[in-house]
Amino acid sequence: MARGWVDAIVAAGAVPVSYVPEASIGRQADAAEATVAELVEDAELRTHRVDAAAPAPAAVSFLDGIQQWRVVGQSGVVPLVRAYVAAAVRRRGGDRRLRTVAERSLEFAITHVEALAAPVRRALEDSGVTVVNLAATDLGQPSRTLRAAHVQVDRAREQLERQLGERCVTDLRDGEWLIVDGLLSESELLARHPRTLGVIKSHGAQFFSGADLERALTVPAGHRTSVFAPQSHAHQPIYSWYLRLWPWEGNDLLYGLLRIEARAHRETVAAAAGASGWLVQERAPVSTPDERWDRLLYAIHDVETYLRARAPRDFLSPTASRLPRAAS
Amino acid sequence: MIQRQTPESIGRVVATELKPATPHQFHFWTANETTIGIGAIVKVEGPGAGDQGSGRVVFGVVTDGFAYSDLATPLHDVVGAEGDPAKAAERPTVRQEIRLWTAAVLRQEPEEPLQPVPLGAVYLASDADVAQALRMDAYLTGAQPTGIPVGLYTAAGHEAPVYLDADFLLGPEAAHLNISGVSGLATKTSAVEFLLASIFQHFPAHKGRIAALCFNVKGPDLCFLDRPGALDDADRRRYERLGITPQPFERVRYYAPCKADGVNLNTLRTHPDLVGDVEPLVWGLEEVLDFAEVLLNRDDIDAKADAFIDFLSDRVLNKEFDDGFGGSHRVQTFADLDGLFRAIFDGLELTGRSDMWRTHHIATIRKVRNRLSNISTRCKGLVTDDGPSNDLPWGRFEDRTVYVVDVANVDALGQDLVFARAVSKLREHLERRDLGVEAVVVFVDELNKYAPGDGPETYVRKMLLDISERGRYLGLVLFAAEQFRSQVHRRVVGNAGTTLFGRMDADELATPGYQVLSPATKIKLATLPIGELMVRHPHFTQPIFLRFPRPAVLRGRDGVERFPPATDLPFEDAVVRQLVRLDRRIRPNQVKDLIAERRPDDVRRALAAVRRTRPEDALAYFRRILGARVAPVTAPAREAVPPLNPISEEPY
Repeated sequence: MARGWVDAIVAAGAVPVSYVPEASIGRQADAAEATVAELVEDAELRTHRVDAAAPAPAAVSFLDGIQQWRVVGQSGVVPLVRAYVAAAVRRRGGDRRLRTVAERSLEFAITHVEALAAPVRRALEDSGVTVVNLAATDLGQPSRTLRAAHVQVDRAREQLERQLGERCVTDLRDGEWLIVDGLLSESELLARHPRTLGVIKSHGAQFFSGADLERALTVPAGHRTSVFAPQSHAHQPIYSWYLRLWPWEGNDLLYGLLRIEARAHRETVAAAAGASGWLVQERAPVSTPDERWDRLLYAIHDVETYLRARAPRDFLSPTASRLPRAAS
Repeated sequence: MIQRQTPESIGRVVATELKPATPHQFHFWTANETTIGIGAIVKVEGPGAGDQGSGRVVFGVVTDGFAYSDLATPLHDVVGAEGDPAKAAERPTVRQEIRLWTAAVLRQEPEEPLQPVPLGAVYLASDADVAQALRMDAYLTGAQPTGIPVGLYTAAGHEAPVYLDADFLLGPEAAHLNISGVSGLATKTSAVEFLLASIFQHFPAHKGRIAALCFNVKGPDLCFLDRPGALDDADRRRYERLGITPQPFERVRYYAPCKADGVNLNTLRTHPDLVGDVEPLVWGLEEVLDFAEVLLNRDDIDAKADAFIDFLSDRVLNKEFDDGFGGSHRVQTFADLDGLFRAIFDGLELTGRSDMWRTHHIATIRKVRNRLSNISTRCKGLVTDDGPSNDLPWGRFEDRTVYVVDVANVDALGQDLVFARAVSKLREHLERRDLGVEAVVVFVDELNKYAPGDGPETYVRKMLLDISERGRYLGLVLFAAEQFRSQVHRRVVGNAGTTLFGRMDADELATPGYQVLSPATKIKLATLPIGELMVRHPHFTQPIFLRFPRPAVLRGRDGVERFPPATDLPFEDAVVRQLVRLDRRIRPNQVKDLIAERRPDDVRRALAAVRRTRPEDALAYFRRILGARVAPVTAPAREAVPPLNPISEEPY
């Protein structure tokens, strides 16, 4: 079906196009993070050496998702976007190898159906593809429309990750942990589970200022900050702390810096040192050649590689030149 | 013969722009823990395979293997482990790894149009797949199958019998077999012994009768082919799988020259229980003169010497001959010939006529005399000065019989002579179709000695070249072994339709002849365990690794331990032993009384006559021959040949 509905709308009069938005647009969620935090460990924000000898759990599952989208047709100024999202959980057991225990994927179209030319609209509806309809207010200049499409793709992926994570967390065995790439606080079930951790690599949200901010962003390698509770009405209550995997000196403040989210519970404070210890051990093997390797856990990188390997290949950027075709 | 098994997918073909699948090669990955390795035969089924009339099936043999992880650069491993190798082993997650294999295509179905290998599932080949992959189905089925079991293809705990095509191993389509490998580890002799047994049991009836002539050129290698060797359960299972009865050769005829005393045999098969089966191999002047060219080195070969030898063969040998000085000669032995030479030299000297005798220069005559007398000296025991010969049973070769000629302790010149004469006689009889069998396998070890890649052109090398190029039409098949294939004449090894490789020397593998092999195949060859071989055969488009059972015959070194060679007997006892072997009624004392105070040469001559005639009453015949030839005639005083005046600048 992947190519089926695209061919159908092109046959119905949509102009075939090929545009892959730049990945650098970034995620929208971070920018909307709470900007206030309340310390739940220590009277003031401090740094703590992690327990480097803390043993990793015997079994850990890792959850991550991917999203791919591209504009495949134009009906007038209305773009037709083809999107693909997928998520997977890969479990690491005693043999230290990762194996997939759950995965889901979804392919869908994004457009403003009502604004499509009638034949194109009919072709799209007849194709049976799931369509996410943009609001009429999102139409206009391409950048505006594409930003709206991007939000829809983000939402779809986050929803898929959440669904998969919630399914997986209910199946966790005794002593098994689930590491989620991203916010834990978007799911009540995940946020309340005692053995789930969210690992956040992007730091758009600011929780501290002044000396606390400096202390948080200059935490040395192998150290963590005090546990704090971000204050947000939009998310589930969780506890959080910063953790430095690699020395930032010589690079930048965010180099090797993670923010960890865990259940909002006093036991989390007690477990932060140990959990941070084995998370620091997760920096090896390094997840090169990914550019984010300084804060991308190898196991998460592995899930992402797995998902990309299974994604439809025609989402990749065309290798052909974008020069106009010569007349034949 | 062929067992079918349910195939089980073990991998998947992958192709990239840099490593594409082609009509001759493809790549596939397997689980990290896989049982396949270099040499494994696999089957690829393309999409639609199994559907009626659609799908492409490709058979391939694994020629190379790769393993790598997603590590971008080794430096990143160092960074991850903070420079401590111990920490690298403690990483919580094992990197993704791949086992990627390269396979060379053996066969495609359908064969036309020839296309790249489909990106399909990979299966380990079953028995039936192996037969199809190696195109054995063409000669294992039909009204007249021609399969000769050569060993078991072994991979991933699976064994499948592999057959050679008799039409391509023993003629007429192709022929000859060459086996190379390092001494002691390549098991070349064992492989040939096993294959000969297989041939004898599976040679197709419609192709007639077959025999083997083996030259034992070192130690006791081939001296116990009629004795059972030790086999274990694995060997017996392999024999059963190959459909071969594990038993020693039923009919083996041993030939060995005598020692210088003319009565003790020059072989390691002299244990009293076994020596009775060994026939003396003794040649006289006639046998040697036919192959006198063997005795002449490159510098000797000239038209004059050649013409004089032809003259002796055509005009002198076995004829009443007038030497031109009043003497009459009937030359039958070396002694007779020497008498003729002396008469010529004396005649020329005394008459002072010239330095020419019947258009032959005296220097040429002296040269030929030197070479001929040299062979009778260096190969005393093989070549008799004045006795009758005892030869292989030309014209009476028997089906499924091995003839072993033991020349291990014979001078190199004598070995050349034996080899040249035996093979030439085989050729003569096969051309006339009167050998007794339709095909003969000639096994020669140390081929690099007889047909070296460089060095002077010799009669033996020319003869081997001729056999290798034309023998297949005659049924004259050369099985040859050597340590270094690169040191053998290219045309000799090139004409071998079937080639076996045991464990190879790394330096040998670096020579240009092995460039077609992948590095992985070379390393496998360099580390090949005993009992495994790599085989190339015209039907197989790629080399195949095989395992063969130990031959069911007693190994040479075990044989000499179980049957230690007897010490040389005194002359009288040796004569007794030979006569008793011919007629068990003979009592030793009768013989000893007969030969007491007789000249050994006369005894030897009489013994040879008995051997050749094989009369009903051996002792009576021996007595008669001995009595007739040992009349108390005083030998005439031998006159020394007077020195010649300088008559030529030739140094002879």
